[in-house]
Amino acid sequence: MRVEKCFFCSAPIYPGHGINFVRNDSKFFRFCRSKCHKAFQKKRNPRKARWTKAFRKSAGKELTVDASLEFEKRRNEPVKYNKELWQNTVKAMQKIEAIKTRRQNHFIANRLKKGKELRKLADKVEVEKNIHLIKSPAAGLKQKKQMVEVVMERDVEQMEEN
Amino acid sequence: MGRYRLKKMHKGDKPLKEKYRTKRRTRDLDQIHGDMKSPDSLLKQEVDLDKPGAAQFYCLTCAKYYVDQKALSDHFKSKPHKRRLKALETEPYTQEEAERAAGMGSYLL
Repeated sequence: MRVEKCFFCSAPIYPGHGINFVRNDSKFFRFCRSKCHKAFQKKRNPRKARWTKAFRKSAGKELTVDASLEFEKRRNEPVKYNKELWQNTVKAMQKIEAIKTRRQNHFIANRLKKGKELRKLADKVEVEKNIHLIKSPAAGLKQKKQMVEVVMERDVEQMEEN
Repeated sequence: MGRYRLKKMHKGDKPLKEKYRTKRRTRDLDQIHGDMKSPDSLLKQEVDLDKPGAAQFYCLTCAKYYVDQKALSDHFKSKPHKRRLKALETEPYTQEEAERAAGMGSYLL
């Protein structure tokens, strides 16, 4: 028994789940659910369907190259049962999984930092472009006019006094 | 509304299902990639009267037979053919790639 990977979305397929398609050149295609099977029938490219692992990896959304990804492999080597080895393997799997998730989360957090910067920049540009909505460009003119009026009044008063 | 009209108007997903049946299955892109490595067996076929155009006018990239030279050269100028050419530029998707995307080894294109 093996937990296979879906041809389309790369999800694990546990025994008793999904569907197999065997093409007339005897090639196997395994699908985790009817969604993936239908997409395959429609000849969709998994690299272009945004919800698949292949898309997320090829578009640089997720961690692609890392030493922690090199443990899980199709080895095709039968291993004789050994309790100690089995226990150690399970322990190692848990540790590797923890490290892997931490690295993946770190990668995504780093990737999202860029967007934050860009958004900040876009906000600044928006404010600069639409400054007239906050502060009227005529506000300066009005102030000048008032000042001129005040000065003129003062002049008139001075003239009267003289 | 008569029964006949009702039947015609409520097809459901039957046309889609018929389209994607294995009976009507066309060659996949990865198969065509294989064909392109050894094109002679398909491009220089013997006369087969059961095939369209006696199997003499075959488009390798679209995996289709045409009835005569004119139909074939018209097809070469068509949008679907050009679209197919573009789709064939990239490496075909495989189960190995799906597994690498699932985290079994690093994923590099």
